Formats: sequence, structure tokens, C-alpha cells
Amino acid sequence: MNSTPHGDDHAPHLREHPTPARPVRAVGSAAMPSTVRLADEFFYLAHDDQTGRSRLFESATAYGLAAALLAELYGEGRVTFEGRRLRVINTVPPKDWLQHLVLDRLVAEPRHTETRTWLAYFATAAYHQVATRMWQLGLLRQQQVGRLWRQRTVYVPADMNTAAWSWARLSFQLRNHQRLNAFDVALAGLAMHTQLDPILLDGTPVAVRAFLRQQVEQAPPPLRDLLADLGAVVGSAVLSHRTT
Amino acid sequence: MSHSKPDTVSAVLARGRLGIPSVVFFVIAAAAPLTVVAGGATTGYAVTGVTGIPVSYLLVAAVLALFAVGYVAMSRRIVNAGAFYTYVTRGLGRPAGVGAAMVALLAYNAMQIGLYGGAGAVTAQFLNDRYGVGLTWWSCALAVWAVVAVLGVARIDLNGRVLAVVLVAECVVALTFDAIMVTHPADGTVSFDTLAPSHVFAAGIGAALVTAITGFVGFEGTVVFSEETKDPRRTIARATYIAVAVTGLLYGLSAWAMSVATGPDRIVAAARADGTDLIFNLVSPYLADSIVTVARVLFITSLFAALLSFHHTVARYLFALGRERVLPAVFGRTSRRTGAPKVGSLVQSGLAFAVLVGYAVAGADPIVHLFFWVTVTGGLGVLILMTVTSAAVIGFFARSTHTEGPWRSLIAPGLATVALGGILTVTLREFATLLGVAPDSPLRWTFPAAYAAVALLGIAWALVLRTTNPDVYAAVGLGADRDTGPRLAPDTVRQPA
Repeated sequence: MNSTPHGDDHAPHLREHPTPARPVRAVGSAAMPSTVRLADEFFYLAHDDQTGRSRLFESATAYGLAAALLAELYGEGRVTFEGRRLRVINTVPPKDWLQHLVLDRLVAEPRHTETRTWLAYFATAAYHQVATRMWQLGLLRQQQVGRLWRQRTVYVPADMNTAAWSWARLSFQLRNHQRLNAFDVALAGLAMHTQLDPILLDGTPVAVRAFLRQQVEQAPPPLRDLLADLGAVVGSAVLSHRTT
Repeated sequence: MSHSKPDTVSAVLARGRLGIPSVVFFVIAAAAPLTVVAGGATTGYAVTGVTGIPVSYLLVAAVLALFAVGYVAMSRRIVNAGAFYTYVTRGLGRPAGVGAAMVALLAYNAMQIGLYGGAGAVTAQFLNDRYGVGLTWWSCALAVWAVVAVLGVARIDLNGRVLAVVLVAECVVALTFDAIMVTHPADGTVSFDTLAPSHVFAAGIGAALVTAITGFVGFEGTVVFSEETKDPRRTIARATYIAVAVTGLLYGLSAWAMSVATGPDRIVAAARADGTDLIFNLVSPYLADSIVTVARVLFITSLFAALLSFHHTVARYLFALGRERVLPAVFGRTSRRTGAPKVGSLVQSGLAFAVLVGYAVAGADPIVHLFFWVTVTGGLGVLILMTVTSAAVIGFFARSTHTEGPWRSLIAPGLATVALGGILTVTLREFATLLGVAPDSPLRWTFPAAYAAVALLGIAWALVLRTTNPDVYAAVGLGADRDTGPRLAPDTVRQPA
């Protein structure tokens, strides 16, 4: 496997991460994505590459996607995280409609600054929003499942190889103790703080887990603040769980 | 920017929040009223030989309401704190906090494992009577154990609506039974003897009081839901008081009604003869068989609900302590698919299995030696925790700048500390009565000494962490918030060393 598909991509920033230089089967008439976004990659990580079934419990997936969307805005230089708070630093709308939507909410509700509050807020819709964005780009297709009276839509990856790529890349690099680039540090951090890391580390020695931890600690301080809040909301979701 | 715009963030987050009834249902269902009425009160009469059980329930309800004043006031300032040891950490310092955590682990495990004795014996008896099979208590207990273990790792709690229906049914059954028993008194006259306050000063009252406290364990869980309620300031406080009042009255009334039906002087003998069947036997002459059968099934389901609830409590404690690295970090891991605190759940189930097998092999009595002894020992642990937590509330408010009046920050918690400490003292003095063993039996010290041992172990471990691992020490009591630090509500607090 080509472990460094991005060649000389050493830009220490999260934006504009190029797609793997491999043929990807296009579905429908949607245009192919020119960049890969953090939330999309996390969505792939958190779901089975073939069936689209969830690999992670629902609340953790939702918080992970919400954090990924905020991390995208951080990567675009629109927001930053200072301790437990989020601050908008640039209100220029991003090109991506979902990033635009998220930033718009942050700007419209300046009275809420706690990162945790925003994670909880975006988590309520993040799954649907990220899935819609990916669907519009042809990365996912919709499938109706369930009986007549309980039909619902699930999103299945359009291309298994694209879907498996983030997992394969992270897993391979971690197993071989290769340094992760900035984008993958953020993605690995999201996985680690949503307790999704076992899928990356399955069957690896303890040293690999330590390497993952050490790589994630390389993340810039604002991103580490975001990840700490993500870990806390996922943890309290575990603690306050009840079946409704 | 204008603040007159609608706050859509708060509006979205408020969806699906809990109101007072939901919180009350969750915690009362965990306390399992029919388990207490049919199992706890009758076995309490039988084992302790004390007739003052009804007045004990009422007295304990009053003391717990007093305790709740400071407890709820403090819960408003510690966001996301569902565990006693968090309060102790903030109020009395980290070593005391870790000690309290260890006491809590032992106490909730004891509550849960002891309930298996009741569940096993009651289920076996029900099936044997009805279908003429010869099941042993431990085979039924292990079957229930297997279900709880599976639901535990699958993170399946009982559905809120199911719980509500079952809970209402339990209360209706208990009240119906009470009405029948009170209208059919033993000697033709309704005697209020077992409600006489004079019992409070009688011998053996400590045993009766801790039996009563055991029945209330679970009410402290209201604060777990504080972040999920519509109005945390009022919902939690009211739900707590309602839960204490409703359960207190129900328990007191039911225990008293039983004594009316048998006659106060014969209640102990009757309870010893009939055991957990007593309440059903007392009403069966006046009710259709089918209704009594439904009541027996509800007794079993209430035991099950309590088992599952305490199982989740223990698993969450282990998870929180694992997150803090006070226990090995592996306890902080969750099941990827279900989000269950997997390791904590499996360890609790493993421990319960070992105890059940031990009891089965030893041939001990499931009701007296497992259900009663072990759950009241759990109740003793929770009593210790509540006493220490009350003191911690005073410590917390003394150290923080706050806007609470002296009643909530000092007087009520102070009175609660004294009252709970008093109950604790008489309980320890009368532990032999509580267990129904000879006063010189070593058992009377074994159970309480276990708490002293784990508390000292916890304190020692905290001191070791302070020197060897300051990061972990700093995070004690933070649970899932270990990486973000405590989230304090408006008032600021200095953390004790």
C-alpha cells in the first residue's frame, strides 16, 4: 500500500487535503470532490466501508462529527479555541455550504461561547448534515431500510475504497510509527476522543497506542482544547446514559 | 449584537429535556418500591426483631429530606456530578474523595449483589409454586445475573415508559394491599403502635434505621440528571424532595399496614415464619388469586429493575474512576458499538458471579445471608457516604463565595450530618442486632470493618498518587471532565489540597 499518497504534502494545516490519487468510482451526476474534509473522513471512519453500518455508538458519532465540523472551521482560520471557549476570528463565509452554515450559527449566537454547548448543539444535526454534504458530492448513496412502518434512510459509501482509505491510511501509518500530517493528527484525535481508536489499533501492541497518543499531543493547542471538550462530552454521555 | 433575538441554541438543546415526573420515575424505579415493601420491610422485621420499622422509614425520610437540602444546593454548583465522591472531593479534599469512591464501590456492589439473593429466592419460589418445578434459588439468581450482565454490556436500561408503567403498577399494588391490611386488622382494632415515636429510643432502632436507609438508596441519583433537565435549579430539587416523600410515606404506610394485619405483637413472628411471602399471604384471603399473582410478578420485576439500575451505577463509577486514572485506564474504555462502560460492567458482573457461586457452594440462606445481610451492609456504606457528603457540603460552602443562605449552606447540612452521624453510631453499636447474630459474633465487626479498610486504602492510594502522579491526583473527582477541568457554575471555589 502506498502509505504516503500525498507525497510532499507537509503543509501543517488542515485545509485542502487532496484526495488519494487513485481512480474513484463516481456515482450519479455529482461532481467529484476536489478536497477531503475532516468531517467526511470522520464519517467514513465511524461507519463500515461496505454496509455503512455504524462502528461507534450514536452519541459519540454525533459529537465526533460536530467536533469535526468545528475543526474544519478552525482549519479554515475562521474560529479558534481558547480553553473551554470557542471564538470566531474571521466571519468571511467559507466556500463549503456546511462550513458556512456552522459559522453562520456561531456568529448569530454570540452569547454562547462554551465549546461544549456548541458541540451539543451541532451534534443534534451533524450526522444528517455531514451525510447530506457527502451525498451531494456522490460520496454516499441513500438506501431505504426497514419495514414499511419504520422505514428510514441509511447512507452507504458509494465507493468502498474511498471509504476505507482514511482507516487504512491512519492504521498503516500508526502501525509503522510514521508521523501523521496535520490533517491526520486531527482525524486521529477525533477518533481517540470518541473512543473509536480500537478500530485503528486492533491487534496492535501497546506501543502503538502510546504512539497514537503522542501523535495526537502534537496537535496545535486550540485543537487540543477542542479535543479535550470532545472527550468530556463523550464521557458524560456514557455516564448519563439512559434508554429513552 | 442584540440579545432580543431568539436563543435558538438553548431552544434546540432544551428539546427532550426531562421534567420533574421523569426524574422522579427514574430514581424511584431504581429504589424499587415493591422490593422494599415486600422484601426489605418484612425481612427487616424478621431479622432484627424490631417492631419500630414503620416509624424508622418515616424518620429516615425526614433526615434524608434534610440531607437533600445541602446536597441539591451543592449539585447546582458542580456541573455534571452524579457521584458522592465528587462532592466529598470538592468539600473535604482529594484523599477523602478517593476514600469515599472506594466506599461507594463497595456499597453499591453490595446493594446489587445482595439483591440477587432476593431475586433468586423469590423467582425460584414463584416458579416452583406455580409450575411445580424444583428450581434452586441460585439457578434462578444466575439466570437473572446472565440477563443483567448482557443488558449491562449492551447498555440497555429499562425504557422510561416501561419503568413508569411498572412503577405506577407497583405503587397501586402496594396501596391496595395496605388498604386491605388496614381494613382487616388482626384483633379488630387498628393499632398505631408501630408508628409510635417511642420506638426511636428503643433497643435495636439502629438496625431498623439502617434497614430503612437501605430502602431509600437510589434517591441520590436525581442529581445525575441535572444537566438533562429543563430547569436544573428547580427540577432536581423538587424531584428529590418528591422522591423522598413519596417513597418514605409508601414504605412507612406499608410496613405499618402489615403490623396492623398481624397485630403489632405478632409481626416479628409472622415475618420470621412467612419471609418475603408475608405481605402476599396477608392479603390473599381477600383478593383474587390472579391479582396476587400479578403482584408477585411485579415484585420480581421491581427486583430486576433495581438490579439493573445498581449494575449501571457500579459500571459508571468504575468508568469515571478509570477516566480519572485513579483506577487503571482500561476502566475508562467503552464498548465501541454501544457506548457501555464495558470493562466496569464486566468486572461488576464477574464479581457478582463469584459471590453467587460462593453462596451457592456454601449453602447459605439467600434471603437472610445474601439479600438482607449484604444489602443492609450496602445501606450502611451509603449511610457512611451520606454522612461524609453532608460534612463535605458544609466544607464546600465554607470555602466558596456563594449566594446560598445559611440554611442551605450550613444549618441543614449541619443538622443532616449530626442526624446521619447519630444513625451511623447506633447502627454500628447494634450491628449484631441488624444481622441477627450473637453480640459477640465476629461478623458484626467484619462488615463495617470492610468499609474502614477500603476507605483507608483509598486515602492511602490518593496520597501515593499525590507524590508519584500529580496529574492523576489533580484530576480526582473530575470523572469524564478530567481533560477539561471542573466546570463550575457561576460561583468560584477554591479546591482543597
